[in-house]
Amino acid sequence: MNENSWDENRAMDLLNQFEAILESDPLIDEVGFIHPSQFVTLSNECGESGDSSEDGAFGPKNTKFWNRDHKLGISTEVLLPLCKAAKSAFMDALKQYKNLCSFSDNNHEDENIMFGSLSCLSFESEVMKHGRAVLLLSCDFGTAWNSRKLVVSKKQQLSMLMDELLLSALVLSYSPKSEQAWSHRRWVIKMIAGKHSNLQDIMAKESELVEKIAERSKMNYRAWNHRCWLVSYMTREQMLHELKKSRDWAGLHVADNSCFHYRRRLILGISENSCCKQEGENSSYDVENYQIVKEELDLNEVLIKRYIGREALWLHRRFLSLCMIRHLTTMHDISCHPEQKTSMDNEINIFLDNESCLLNYCSTIQDTEFEDFKAQAMYSAVYFLWLITQIPQFREIDLQVKLRTENLKTILHEACPERSFLWGFPDLNGSF
Amino acid sequence: MGELAVYKHVHYILSVEKRKDSFESVVMDHLRMNGAYWGLTTLDLLGKLGTVNADEVISWIMKCQHESGGFAGNIGHDPHILYTLSAVQVLALFNKLDVLDTDKVAAYIIGLQNEDGSFSGDMWGEVDTSCRNLDGGFGCTPGGESHAGQIFCCVGALAIAGSLHHIDKDLLGWWLCERQVKSGGLNGRPEKLPDVCYSWWVLSSLILIDRVHWIDKEKLVKFILDCQDVENGGISDRPNDAVDVFHTYFGVAGLSLLEYPGLKAIDPAYALPVNVINRIFFSR
Repeated sequence: MNENSWDENRAMDLLNQFEAILESDPLIDEVGFIHPSQFVTLSNECGESGDSSEDGAFGPKNTKFWNRDHKLGISTEVLLPLCKAAKSAFMDALKQYKNLCSFSDNNHEDENIMFGSLSCLSFESEVMKHGRAVLLLSCDFGTAWNSRKLVVSKKQQLSMLMDELLLSALVLSYSPKSEQAWSHRRWVIKMIAGKHSNLQDIMAKESELVEKIAERSKMNYRAWNHRCWLVSYMTREQMLHELKKSRDWAGLHVADNSCFHYRRRLILGISENSCCKQEGENSSYDVENYQIVKEELDLNEVLIKRYIGREALWLHRRFLSLCMIRHLTTMHDISCHPEQKTSMDNEINIFLDNESCLLNYCSTIQDTEFEDFKAQAMYSAVYFLWLITQIPQFREIDLQVKLRTENLKTILHEACPERSFLWGFPDLNGSF
Repeated sequence: MGELAVYKHVHYILSVEKRKDSFESVVMDHLRMNGAYWGLTTLDLLGKLGTVNADEVISWIMKCQHESGGFAGNIGHDPHILYTLSAVQVLALFNKLDVLDTDKVAAYIIGLQNEDGSFSGDMWGEVDTSCRNLDGGFGCTPGGESHAGQIFCCVGALAIAGSLHHIDKDLLGWWLCERQVKSGGLNGRPEKLPDVCYSWWVLSSLILIDRVHWIDKEKLVKFILDCQDVENGGISDRPNDAVDVFHTYFGVAGLSLLEYPGLKAIDPAYALPVNVINRIFFSR
């Protein structure tokens, strides 16, 4: 059927069918666009016979929509006329709704308010109905998301807000990168946070949702960004819990930089959430914070040795090392004893010593059959160089460690000759 | 090394403009204003802005203006700061900024600024804040992962505001130059594939902080040229993928920054041809 031969009436029929399905099955959790030829396959898989029963209105004989087990399939043949019809119906309804809203806002006579608001209600439901249809086909259509915010903010009902979470989750199930959908969720959560108390519950569910989506959509920036945003609503206990809970997942997704960034966010949040308490509590938080960084460093080292040449792991280590140095420095700042200072230097030396051991371990290029070993050598060398340039303490440390780093230049030359700008780095030359 | 297929790309952009009746273009029609900016700036960089009917474009742009002063992505849609930017940029290309009631547009933008200095995108308040991370980069929200696109927005904004001294250029430059992968292309963050659009965001950021000598420019040029569809015109995100106007613009803009011959120079902060920017500033 030629796309151009869909006239307005037939397109409206399509839209009505589509919206009827959505209305009849509020638990739809998956939407997909399918080629018409696949409709037969789908029906066969479900063991449906040629003669469908009464309820087979959207069964095998229908080649435009397929709805079963809360899944919805739309034939690619009808996508264009359906989308155009939905958009057109939505825009009409929106225009009428907005006109009536401003009409009833501006008029104070009781009669007008009554008439105005009844029509308002009917156009309001049109806006929501057509808007939902449009968004399932064109999920980044901002105006449609906005119209829902407009309607929902006027009603102020928790159930409507929860419905918005359902719709956006449905959209994200097949468009996990839709920034509009993520943004809409944040707006809804802020609305809920403002007036309802089950926020902690919602936070936990959001985190789970992101993890589920992240599993299918690797390094999804927007999903993880959303999860980072949630951290600002978490208590220290929740952050600790999240860190622990997502540990294993991180170990299975070592190339996912977004995942490790999330862990950095949590660690930062935990250390920031340690201030403004009494003296006694303060020092126990310090110890706990130190433990967290130490454990993360240990985990990171295990993963680095197991998964060779993974950039994300080495970048994560940069952050952790900085944290560690800061901890060691601040923990000793509490008293200014010279003994304390020597002790601090010792601890930093021990730490740097360990890092240079790691460098030596990783910088042997065992074979060149795969890129991994070479990459590992490069990342470890660049990491160490970065460390030297970032921490001021390096200048004062042990000769031992300095001697080991004579190797650094050699390693860099061998592993990444193209990064020659690194040799020009002032600190590196100064330290040698 | 291949060459830039100028005429093919011009032809491609002009054809996209006409192709309005496919599902793909219908679902993108909410960002038509951005598409106009990408397509028309590319044409200007290639020296072919004259192939377009300026009056038609301008009249369409003005129909997209909302009563609040902001511009929408298309007629009848909601306004947003991003479409407002694109609208202003396109008018600048045509040297028609005088059709604007500048006070009105300015009032719309100012109205979106929040108490903490950040800007909301529109009345619904999603803030695209720029927050500096420990790796020297910038993320989208406080605590957001460093992302090259976001970095460009921040560095560009700071450049325009004369405040680049707030950036640790070595630290940021380091992270940025690590975006160059073996093929010569640039990615947007660690462990990701290279993408032509980062030829713009990473590159212009490096230029603004004076660290562009930290990447291999020749390899990058070759990568961009490899992303062309020399048969049908247009540039894609990486070699042999489908082309689109977005990547065509970033590829050409990136080549301009790399001083590829035959292209107009582009301003790394304003993302408009240098002559357009000069025209604005010198007319004061």
